[in-house]
Amino acid sequence: MDESKLYELMDEYRNPPHLGKPKDYDALEEGSSASCGDRFTVYLKLSGGTVKSADFEGSGCVISTVCMSRVCGAISGKTKEQIRSMDIKDVKKLIGIDQISASRISCAMLGLETIKKALADKKRM
Amino acid sequence: MSMERRGKLLDAAQIRKDFPILSKKVNGHPLVYFDSAATSQKPRQVIDGIRYFYENLNANPLRSIHKLAEEATIAYNAARDKVAKFINADPDEIVFVRNTTEAINLASYALPLKKGDRVVSSYLEHHSNILPWLRLKDIGVTVDFVDVDDEYELDMEHYRSLPNDTRLVTVSHESNVSGTVNDVREIAALAHEAGAMVLIDAAQSAPHMKIDVKDIGADLLAFSGHKMLGPFGIGVLYVNKTLHEHMKPFLTGGEMIESVRLNDVKYQKIPRFYEAGTQDVEGAYGLGLAIDYLNRIGMGNVEAYDKALTEHLFDSVRSVKGLDVYGGKSGKYGPILSFNVKGLHSHDVAYFLDKKGFALRSGFHCAQPFIEDKLKANGTARASLYIYNTLAEIDRFAAEIKNIARKYGRI
Ligand SMILES: Cc1ncc(COP(=O)(O)O)c(C=O)c1O
Repeated sequence: MDESKLYELMDEYRNPPHLGKPKDYDALEEGSSASCGDRFTVYLKLSGGTVKSADFEGSGCVISTVCMSRVCGAISGKTKEQIRSMDIKDVKKLIGIDQISASRISCAMLGLETIKKALADKKRM
Repeated sequence: MSMERRGKLLDAAQIRKDFPILSKKVNGHPLVYFDSAATSQKPRQVIDGIRYFYENLNANPLRSIHKLAEEATIAYNAARDKVAKFINADPDEIVFVRNTTEAINLASYALPLKKGDRVVSSYLEHHSNILPWLRLKDIGVTVDFVDVDDEYELDMEHYRSLPNDTRLVTVSHESNVSGTVNDVREIAALAHEAGAMVLIDAAQSAPHMKIDVKDIGADLLAFSGHKMLGPFGIGVLYVNKTLHEHMKPFLTGGEMIESVRLNDVKYQKIPRFYEAGTQDVEGAYGLGLAIDYLNRIGMGNVEAYDKALTEHLFDSVRSVKGLDVYGGKSGKYGPILSFNVKGLHSHDVAYFLDKKGFALRSGFHCAQPFIEDKLKANGTARASLYIYNTLAEIDRFAAEIKNIARKYGRI
């Protein structure tokens, strides 16, 4: 199945379940794509080393937005370690497609990359 | 009456036969290539010519003295002559580089700019005419950006009141986003009045119109071969002779020197001064063939045909509901249409079009400040046309855009 299936998700694109800034959060991170113009802010609620919930604001293309939202849904209850080890294969599974063209991989990964950045141990950088 | 039929300016149907790639099918549909501002397609005369070069002329020019090297040298020099003639310059004012980006970077290193000097760029620029100058802030150069108005035209008042410390005015001839054609002649005159040099980014104009560096009054002018039917990897920086003695080295190494002693280096004159190391000879040769091709059509005809395409393009989308079209009313435009379907990201528009065989670029087009700050958009879809496109393709494009806007957009 290829990425064209994502375009059946126009309703989810218009109203992604995890869109919106939560009242309180523990971590915030911005992610953008230099060539596309996609721009997201993710908000994470944490408890110890575990993500309680994740939401986002911003806009992008169908692929980046739907992936962003689904990754938000998938990571609640996961530990930082578990999230850090996620990759494109996990994103493909989440959206139920296995073929994303080379030029759109960065769209699909923007959400997960931004969340990983939010979880990065900033003191060590 | 169709432009192709009229056929006086240019016979697009005949021209299309020279571009093998145009008979390709994409996603089951005939390819409609609307991405020439990113890179143009290449005619068989260029493709075959490069093969001819390797099969008949290949050697390292300017160095060895054998017959083949002599032939390669003649071919390389002939390419320089063709470029010079193409823009009304002298051959020793033509520096071969990789592309416009390298040309502008070269200028930013080589011009004698110092602390306290001012460089004036503009809001309409490609990143390659912004970043090399911003880098100079590190050495104390001030960089200003001329504003654009709601019609995507440069604020000419800014050029009329350039501060005394302005050393360089750098501006694109044609915007790669809005297609705006700037009055570079006037800008050059105003810059010279203020005692500043002028660099013209002709990446988008050189493929589409007759360029005359003397008429414009350009001190430096940059363009890329790959956007004007030539191969990748070859570009041009024109450097007016009067600047030569003031310019500093860029890359150093083989062939750019007259003599090397470890305590005394004598450099070659421009252009060889800026052509260190073995050059892209194939590229220069290919660019020469691209220029031959354009000259056979005539740049006047290219320009007139482009104008007809541009008018038809803008006319065709004007009536489509649910579009934001980023073009002003001045009429001074190249064949570039930036637009968005309301409610859709530009990538998704490009994706839907691709499914029907249309190749368009989407996103920021390496001009993020202009698109974010002036168009207030997070990208645009861009149709950019050239001599091998037809009015019929535009009609199909407009119909498809209408479909997409109705089906997926928010009207
Ligand atoms: C106006 C303008 N300037 C500069 C460039 C850079 O050209 P290149 O990528 O060939 O260096 C482009 C190419 O997109 C352009 O459109």
